[in-house]
Amino acid sequence: MAPFLSAGPFSARNGEGRELFSRVTIDVDEKELVMLDGPSGSGKSTLLRQLVGMVPTSDVTRVLAAETYSGLQLPLWRSKVTLVAQDAPMLAGTVGENLGFPFSQRCGCDRKGDPQRRAELLEAVGLGSIPGDREIGTLSGGERHRLALVRGLLWNPPVLIVDEPLSGLDEDAAVSCFELLVDFAHCTGHALLCVLHDRALGAKADRRIDLVGNHGESPP
Amino acid sequence: MSSLIELGPLQLVVATLLVVAAGVISLVLRLGIGRRLAVAAVRTVIQLGLLGLILERVFALRHPVVIVGILVLMTIFAAREAASRTTKGYRGIMLDAWLAMAVSCFAVGGVVTQMVVGVEPWYEPQYVIPLIGMILGNSLTGIALGLDRFLDHLSTRHAEIELRLAYGASRREALAAPLQDAVRTGMVPIINAMAAAGIVSLPGMMTGQILAGAPPLQAVAYQIVVMFMIAAAVAGGAMLVVLLAGRHFMGADAVLRLDRLGTTK
Repeated sequence: MAPFLSAGPFSARNGEGRELFSRVTIDVDEKELVMLDGPSGSGKSTLLRQLVGMVPTSDVTRVLAAETYSGLQLPLWRSKVTLVAQDAPMLAGTVGENLGFPFSQRCGCDRKGDPQRRAELLEAVGLGSIPGDREIGTLSGGERHRLALVRGLLWNPPVLIVDEPLSGLDEDAAVSCFELLVDFAHCTGHALLCVLHDRALGAKADRRIDLVGNHGESPP
Repeated sequence: MSSLIELGPLQLVVATLLVVAAGVISLVLRLGIGRRLAVAAVRTVIQLGLLGLILERVFALRHPVVIVGILVLMTIFAAREAASRTTKGYRGIMLDAWLAMAVSCFAVGGVVTQMVVGVEPWYEPQYVIPLIGMILGNSLTGIALGLDRFLDHLSTRHAEIELRLAYGASRREALAAPLQDAVRTGMVPIINAMAAAGIVSLPGMMTGQILAGAPPLQAVAYQIVVMFMIAAAVAGGAMLVVLLAGRHFMGADAVLRLDRLGTTK
């Protein structure tokens, strides 16, 4: 059976021209939580950004649920295979605006952010008491990371691509956030691909993809 | 109504004493800008003298091809100036600045000269050149400010743009915030000028017309037209240049190409 999500082949070089990875294809099955592993500097974030089409790629095929997405359909692809980027980027504005903006864009205007689900998610990550009109600039790093996670889960795309979502969180918060990701991944019609630094949590992934670094090798 | 008092060489020599007085002050206070003042004064005389000579010839020729040629040349110089004022750049910035400048100036200038003022014949240089010149001078500032702000927004707030993209934003949605930011910035000077007109400052063109013997209310009417046309040209020019620049940094696939942003030009 064809995988739920299939995209590739991806290749990348670092700033000095050294090859990071070459012709990598990512396949993820439905209800699967896959962890992308590799030494730091091996290009994990680059691969995730290529996967969602945030950086230029050529001759790449992107398939989700047996549907192929062309280059011009990248916005639609990204709305279905959504990247929760490293460092939890936020719009200047309030917590409410940051959670709600995807639903006001064209790709999301037929959906509504469920207020009850939103409250549940905020509660689950320990942000239950945060008011919607709180300015983003007043949040701590850990709060931002949790909020970014809530935003991704609230958006509820078929596939979430999560790049180091647990950085800056204490152990308890990291565990409860990771459980939310596991629950998401194991639902019908969903899958999740993540980069995690926490080895113990990473061991709970259904499968690991190793991005072997080519450290010290010169370009061919 | 008094008519224009003509200025001859003698009067200009007397006026030169004034700039010499400024030079003396600079020397006495050891400001160290005496040389620059002298150079600037000489440049003023030469540049304006040349402009006057050219305008006299053009006004005498009254040929539509010559007038249009001069206007196009003016837009090219203005575009070069606008593009050189931004701190960041990209390949093709000159062309974008020129296109925005030309389209906004000729559209607004066309409406003003042909429909508001109703110039006869349509290329009458006495009206067309000063009016378009004023639009150019002001939309140059608007375009330069807007473009600079847009490029700055791309480089400092790209994470926000990519965040919108990550949730499926189209190119238009992803670039809406930087566009608003840039056009707003470009329009600030003309809004301030309009708000202060007549209270804080006597606009230059109005002053000139009054000096030339025009009835004050007529001068005011012209000044209002000029202010409004500048506002339209600045808004149009800034929006157009940012739309053009935006296409350069993001294609239809909505990938933000920051690698095309350069700091040097």
